[in-house]
Amino acid sequence: MKLSVARTATRDAPGRLGPLWTFLFRYGPPRWTEYVLRNWSGQRLVIGVPYLWLLLFFLVPFLIVLKISFAEFSPLGRPPYEPVFRWLEEGAVQVKLLIGSYVYLLNEPLYVSSWLYSIKVAFFSTIFCLMLGYPMAYAIARSSPTYRNVFLMLIILPFWTSFLLRVYAWIGLLKNDGVINNMLMAVGVIDEPIAMMNTSFAVYIGIVYSYLPFMILPLYSNLEKHDLTLLEAASDLGAGPVKAFMRITLPQSMPGIVAGSLLVFIPAVGEYVIPSLLGSSDQLMIARLLSDEFFLNRDWPKASAVAIAMLLLLVVPIMIFQRFQNKELEAQKR
Amino acid sequence: MKTQGLFSRTMLAFGFVFLYVPIISMIVYSFNDSRSVTVWNSVTSPTLKWYGRLFGDDQILSAAWLSIKVAAMSASGAVVLGTLAGLVLSRFGPFKGRALLQGLTTAPLVMPEVITGLSMLLLFVSLEQLLRAAFGWQFDRGVTTITIAHITFTMAYVTVVVQSRLASFDDSLEEAALDLGARPARVFFRITVPLILPAILSGWLLAFTLSWDDLVVTQFVSGPGSNTLPMVIFSRVRLGVSPVVNALASLMVLVVALGVILSAVLMRRQEQRRKREEQMAAAG
Amino acid sequence: MQTAERRADKNKAKAEPWRDPHAEGYVRIENITKKFGDFIAVNNVSLKIYQGEIFCLLGGSGCGKSTLLRMLAGFESPTSGAIYLDGQDMADVPPYERPINMMFQSYALFPHMTVEKNIAFGLEQEKGLSKTEIASRVTDILEIVKLGQFAARRPHQLSGGQRQRVALARALVKRPKLLLLDEPLGALDKKLREATQFELINIQEQLGVTFIVVTHDQEEAMTLASRIGVMNRGEIVQIGTPTEIYEFPMTKFVADFIGSVNMFEGQLIEDLPDRARIRSDELGGVVYIDHGISSAPGAMVWTAIRPEKINILRTPPQDTSENCVKGVVKEIAYMGDLSIYLVKIDSGKMVRVTLPNVERLSDDERILWDETVWLTWHASSPVVVTQ
Repeated sequence: MKLSVARTATRDAPGRLGPLWTFLFRYGPPRWTEYVLRNWSGQRLVIGVPYLWLLLFFLVPFLIVLKISFAEFSPLGRPPYEPVFRWLEEGAVQVKLLIGSYVYLLNEPLYVSSWLYSIKVAFFSTIFCLMLGYPMAYAIARSSPTYRNVFLMLIILPFWTSFLLRVYAWIGLLKNDGVINNMLMAVGVIDEPIAMMNTSFAVYIGIVYSYLPFMILPLYSNLEKHDLTLLEAASDLGAGPVKAFMRITLPQSMPGIVAGSLLVFIPAVGEYVIPSLLGSSDQLMIARLLSDEFFLNRDWPKASAVAIAMLLLLVVPIMIFQRFQNKELEAQKR
Repeated sequence: MKTQGLFSRTMLAFGFVFLYVPIISMIVYSFNDSRSVTVWNSVTSPTLKWYGRLFGDDQILSAAWLSIKVAAMSASGAVVLGTLAGLVLSRFGPFKGRALLQGLTTAPLVMPEVITGLSMLLLFVSLEQLLRAAFGWQFDRGVTTITIAHITFTMAYVTVVVQSRLASFDDSLEEAALDLGARPARVFFRITVPLILPAILSGWLLAFTLSWDDLVVTQFVSGPGSNTLPMVIFSRVRLGVSPVVNALASLMVLVVALGVILSAVLMRRQEQRRKREEQMAAAG
Repeated sequence: MQTAERRADKNKAKAEPWRDPHAEGYVRIENITKKFGDFIAVNNVSLKIYQGEIFCLLGGSGCGKSTLLRMLAGFESPTSGAIYLDGQDMADVPPYERPINMMFQSYALFPHMTVEKNIAFGLEQEKGLSKTEIASRVTDILEIVKLGQFAARRPHQLSGGQRQRVALARALVKRPKLLLLDEPLGALDKKLREATQFELINIQEQLGVTFIVVTHDQEEAMTLASRIGVMNRGEIVQIGTPTEIYEFPMTKFVADFIGSVNMFEGQLIEDLPDRARIRSDELGGVVYIDHGISSAPGAMVWTAIRPEKINILRTPPQDTSENCVKGVVKEIAYMGDLSIYLVKIDSGKMVRVTLPNVERLSDDERILWDETVWLTWHASSPVVVTQ
């Protein structure tokens, strides 16, 4: 609906809006109030409030990060970088942009291997999540309504408990004297504990574990809407169950697959907690490098450059995700 | 079809085991009288000793209290802003900058937290400099900055929930209210809000949970002396397992489980009552 | 004698205000156009609607009738043109300030409020009404729509017909100058629809509110309306009483849209003040009409004859030269109260004829399949349309 509400004439506005505005009108700077009343009709205000907040606290920060990424690191400064814009006496502005930080990111072996490692981990975690999550979502979508609600509740419940604590739980399972090793040794399968903590393996488990609900829910939401009579028609026409799945169910579930995968992949690239608690210190993911540059080295320009580089890397997946979000909402409008 | 059903159901069972074994093991071992948590001390276990220690641990308790305060404020702020944004995006017609608003409200859903955290910290530092230079004000990062940061990234979730709820029913109800003489603000409060109230409430709970649980962004934007619960937990478990943390985790799981079950039961009851009434109406 | 005549004329003018050239429309729609981008939904529509009328906008989907209704309600603003209600210009007047109320197709009842509160909602938005006054008006309107005992129920506890009456009551309780109804009977089943049609008319007469109804159902329009405006592709094609629209359509579209019709293309071979003749190859004969057409001689015209106006004879009539055609009965559909015959004539065209089943006939008296018959009609029955 277009709330194309007529803007009431300014003449009428003060009386309509009550005593507070009349007061301002009489005592506040007349032109200022005139401007506000003329331009800030209710609709604009409603749009404006969240918009301004997001502009100020979400968008502007990125611009600041961008600016600082071009700054020169000054280790003893407070804050630790040279100003990018400096006002000179004649009223001119000196702009100093250094791309040194970026060059470093792209060349330093530590960073290069970290980029590749982060993408690799995120990619394969997404695949594993998909391999486990798709059958689960499928089974839930095809179960009877009573069970379905119970299953959904069971999927959502871990999501509401603390992310941090659930990752912590794996420490207890994976460490050398942890539950898994204890059991395997008690049963006699192994003689010595398997080193599972502080390995890539642990990181994969951690990410798949934590992000599984994010994969299942969009998949379920898509699969639940499928028209099962299509499968019956396919069977009637002679297609076996596997073929029917590949030719009918799978293509239809593509939007769910894409949405779920992006919901896992994008944040996984920038994961910090899981590699910190479960991963090894030999192979760091990119978020950790950013954090170390910032908190340990106090090199703000370099940390900013890492952030910008991450953004550039992820901007295409993010935009694809947003396109899917919008399509989903349009479809819901029926 | 049958074999396929079997495969997916097996995976479902495996998946649930995978999801719950860590949680259950965490709870079980919270009753274990052993510093190493996972080596079961069959002599003195099970015990409630760690729960006792938990309630005597001032650092954890004060951090928890701070987290609750921040989460409640953030959730409330996020709900106000998120509902407005959701309303604008679903009910208002096209306006300049709509696409940007849409992008700004969905980006935080996937944005890696280190990026959000770093950027907000740098914003606060710049603001600090600006305000000091212009007005001589000095402020330290702390509860305020944490709350602002949390509101910013949790409002995206509220927006999505509200937008989705608004999309599921058309605007004829709101148009009818306008037609009957109610001005747009009144339509919003008397008609729209009651209808999306469940969405707003679940948005609040979602924002609360996300804020309560947040680590990375909070680490960036907090100041000295403002330690939230996740920060305390993280610094402890970096060094290894801690049975007090197990006890804390068990309590949290209990609270959440009760909440989820309760709400599911309530919703089910309401749904059933409604169905019965509709059937009665159609018959009579 | 002069006074009596003038009084009779005045009464007629009151009952049929559109016949009075000096009557000012209560609702004046002047050159209204609405474009959505390049798409023209309403194309330069002008209408005058009089107080106390039930005016129906009739048309298929996409003809612009709903858009026109929404512009009256205030939910869309016209790209150009003006709307006046009781002399007041409605431009820039938002929907909550217009003395117009709408009954939505989906009823749009507020699900979280009782029937009482739903109806009272509109009154609560008005200034200067006390709570007791609101309560009494709500009770009154509930009596009128016969929902007195359902006041405390919620919409989901009501049946479809009851919800519709709540929607009506909610709109009427505000005593609007104009009530807009969007497909009011669409969601009801047939029996309920018929009963509700008459109830609507009664309520309207009782309260004297001016109605504008939008519908795609011709039966609804014919029953409810004092006048119908047929719309097609954003334009008003014809305005008239139901009789005028049915018996005297002005275009092929209108003739075809309302009821069923047999259309024969032909050439005007004689056109005099008191008669006209059309030769039609489609018909295979000549049509003789007992009034003039006032068209160019030799013009291509269409003759429209309604199925109920055609007679079926089992033996040829005396004069087969005009208003008569021979054919073979191909299909018979027995509808209970009448029967529909599809008769194939020599040119290959199927002519539709309906006959009421006035008496029970024996087998050899009844018309049967594949029987050769002659179709005739009275000279006043055909209508000629030139576009």
